[in-house]
Amino acid sequence: MKTIKTLFFSIFLLNVCLAFAQQSKQNIEMKVDNIGNAKVTVSMSMNASQWQQWNATFGNNPSALKREIERSMPAFFVDDFKFEKDDMNRSFTLSLNAYGACKIDKRSKWIMNTDQKDAQLTELTNHKYMLVSSPPEYGGTLQQTFIIEFPEAAHDIKTNKDAYGKSTFEFKMDNPSTSINYMRWSGFLLIVIGGSWFGKNAMNGK
Amino acid sequence: MKSKLIPLAIALVGILCVASSFFIPSSSSGELEVAIEKSAFIMPAVHRVYANPDALNGKYYLFKAKITNKSDQTLEDVTVKYRIPDYIDWTELTVSGQMFPGQTLVIPCYPKFKDNITEKTTESFEKAQIEITWDGAEEDDIIEEEFGFKITNRNEYVYTGVKTEEISTWSDMYDNDALISCFVTPNDPVVKYYTQNLQEKLMKGEAASVSRKPEDGVRFLKNIYEATRKSHMVYSGTKGIPQSTEDIQSIVQQIRLPREVITGNTGLCIELSCFYASVLSAAGIDPIIYMVPGHAYPGFKMNGQYYAIEATAINGEGLGGIGSVEEAFKKGAENLQEFIQRSQSGDPRYSMVDIHAMNQQGATAMDLKDNDFMRRKVDAIVASWDGSQPVKEPIQKQPTRRPNNANDIVIPDTTIKTTNALSFAIPTGWQTMMRPVPQVPILTAQVVAPDQMTTASIYDIPVANVHQAMSTINQYFSSFGMQAQYQINGNAISGQTYSSDGSVFNWVGKAISVPNGIRIVAIGAPDYMYNQNAALINQIYNSIR
Repeated sequence: MKTIKTLFFSIFLLNVCLAFAQQSKQNIEMKVDNIGNAKVTVSMSMNASQWQQWNATFGNNPSALKREIERSMPAFFVDDFKFEKDDMNRSFTLSLNAYGACKIDKRSKWIMNTDQKDAQLTELTNHKYMLVSSPPEYGGTLQQTFIIEFPEAAHDIKTNKDAYGKSTFEFKMDNPSTSINYMRWSGFLLIVIGGSWFGKNAMNGK
Repeated sequence: MKSKLIPLAIALVGILCVASSFFIPSSSSGELEVAIEKSAFIMPAVHRVYANPDALNGKYYLFKAKITNKSDQTLEDVTVKYRIPDYIDWTELTVSGQMFPGQTLVIPCYPKFKDNITEKTTESFEKAQIEITWDGAEEDDIIEEEFGFKITNRNEYVYTGVKTEEISTWSDMYDNDALISCFVTPNDPVVKYYTQNLQEKLMKGEAASVSRKPEDGVRFLKNIYEATRKSHMVYSGTKGIPQSTEDIQSIVQQIRLPREVITGNTGLCIELSCFYASVLSAAGIDPIIYMVPGHAYPGFKMNGQYYAIEATAINGEGLGGIGSVEEAFKKGAENLQEFIQRSQSGDPRYSMVDIHAMNQQGATAMDLKDNDFMRRKVDAIVASWDGSQPVKEPIQKQPTRRPNNANDIVIPDTTIKTTNALSFAIPTGWQTMMRPVPQVPILTAQVVAPDQMTTASIYDIPVANVHQAMSTINQYFSSFGMQAQYQINGNAISGQTYSSDGSVFNWVGKAISVPNGIRIVAIGAPDYMYNQNAALINQIYNSIR
C-alpha cells in the first residue's frame, strides 16, 4: 500500500537536479484530525532551472497536477486541492485533504503507515513527529521533511514496524463525538415534567 | 385523583424511555456512505500486476471504496469483503476494529485471480460484489454494492485506462505502455525450449549474458532474426480496433503471445517485439521494446548501449520479399537513430519499454503452462534451420549518437571508440542523457549511474586550451550558484564543485583537444558518496581513452 509520501515524489521532476547532483528540499506537513483524515500541505522552492522545468510539466497546468496526484495515490481519496504559486520566489504551496490516512486495525488501534523501512523519526512534541526522507527514486537529490501532527485526542503514540519491516505509527484515540440518545434524554425530560407536575398538584392539595 | 394520575403516567413513560434506551440500540442501518471508483476492464495477461499493491505504484486496482460512517454511532468490526463470481470467492479486504462517526475508510482492492485466467480466450462482462458488515448489523443493515466490468481475453491489450475526458497528451493515450512487459514471457516453457534450441542448434553456443560484450548481444539478436527468416516466419496483421468501455475509449490490440508467434510462424510488429524480448530475456540479455507512432521494434541494451533490429523485415513473399539479416539490422540502426533524435528532442511519442526494469516494478509476465503440442511445433521449426549457417561476427556497429553535429559525441562501449575524442566505458545500467541541460550547451552529455548520484559529464567547449575550458565551465556553473575548484596536471583534471546549498561534488577527468575546441570528460559523485564509489569512478576514469 502506498502512503502519502509516494505521491510527492511523482509531482516533482528533477532532471536538472540529476544533472548537477544538487539536492532540493520539500516540506510536507500532515495534520491528522480526530477521525483519521489528514490535511496535507506541501511547500517547495526551486532554483531557476528546476522551476522552468517544473512549470513546463505541472506548474502551469494545475489540473494535470491534480490528476497526477489522484492517480498516484491509490490508497487514498483526495480532494479540496489548493495550489498557490509564487513565481517571484520560485516556490509553490499545495494543500489537499487525504481521507483515510489513518486506519483502525482489528484490535482497535489507530495505524498510520510511513511506507519506509527504518524511518528516522524524531519526536518534536507529544503529538508532533518529524521524518526526514531521501527517496531512492531520486538518488538522494530530493530531501523531504515530513512534519506529522496527531490530534490532541491521540495518546500512547508509538512507532512500530509492520509485517514488511516498514515503520508505522500506532496510537489510541477515543471517539471524538458521543452520540446523543434521544430516547434516554426524552425519558429524563418526561420524568422531570411528570414529577414537577405531580409535585405541584400534591402541594396544592389537588 | 385524576390530576395526579396524568403526571404520574408521564413520569412513568419517561422512566420506561430511559430504561429501554439501555436495551434498544439506536438505528445504524443505511448510515454508511459508500463511493466506488472502479476499473472498466481487467486484462488477464496483467493478472500479476492487479494482484500486487506495490506493482507500478499500486496504480492498477479493480476498485477503490470510500466508506464514510454517516451515523452517530461508533461501529464495531467493520468488515469489507468482495467476490467475483466464477473467479474469486468471498475475500476479506479489511476489518476495522472501530469506525467512528464521520470516519472514512479507503480500501483499494487488488484481486488475486487464479493462474488459469491466462487461458481465457474470450472476453466477458463480470460483476464484482462488495459486502460491508459490522457487529450487530441486522440483515437489512448489511450494505451490498455491485458493479460490472469487462475481463478481456488473454491476448487483448488495452492501450490506455485513462478516461476519454481526461486524455490530453500522447502519453495519456498510451498510458499502459508498461504493461506490454506482461506479454513478454521468458519463463514460458515453450519460449525457453525455443531459446535453448536457438542457442544450441543455430548459434552453436553463445555467451552474451556472461561476456556482456555488445557484439555477442548483437550476434544473438541477429540470430533470432535469422531463425525467423529460416523458418519462413511472415509478417501478418491482427485485430486492433478502437473500443469503448464505459468512460474509456482506447485502441484494443489482439496480441499473439510469443509462444503463438513461434508456433504460428507469424507476427505483427508488437508481437514480434514481444517475441524477441522474451527470447532475449530468456537468454539473460536486457530486452528493450521501442515504441514509435504506428510501430514497435525490439532490441536490447548492454553496457549502457542500445541496439535494435527491424524484426518485421521478414515480411514474406506475399509482401514483397524477405530482408536479409544485415538489411534488418541496418534498418534497425536507422530506426534507432531516429528514435534517439526524436526522444532527445522531447517527442513523447518515442518511448521505450525496458522490460527488466518494468519487471522490477512488478509488471511481470503472465503464467503459461507447458504444452507438448507446441513443443513439437518448435521441433518442426528447429528442423527447418538444419543445414543453415549461423550468423557470424564481425558485424557493423550501430550508431548511438547524434547525427552530423559539430558537437557530435559517441557514448561507446568498451569496443566502440571515437577516433578523435575522449571516450570511456559505460557500466551496465547507467543512463545516458544527451544535452541534459539546454541552458548549458557546452554540456554535451551526461551518463548517470543507477544510484543517480555518480555522474560522468562530457563537455565540448569551443576554446583553445584546458584553462579556458575550465573557466568557461565555471562561468556556466556560476549562473546556477555553483563554483568549481580544480587542479590541472597535463590532460588530467581533478576538482570539486561547490553548490550554493553547501553540497560538494568531487570529480576527476581528462581533457583533450578536438577540432572544435576542448573536450572534457569528468566523473564524480557527491563528496559523501565519493569514497564508497571511488573504485567505480577510478575504473571509468582509467577507461577514458
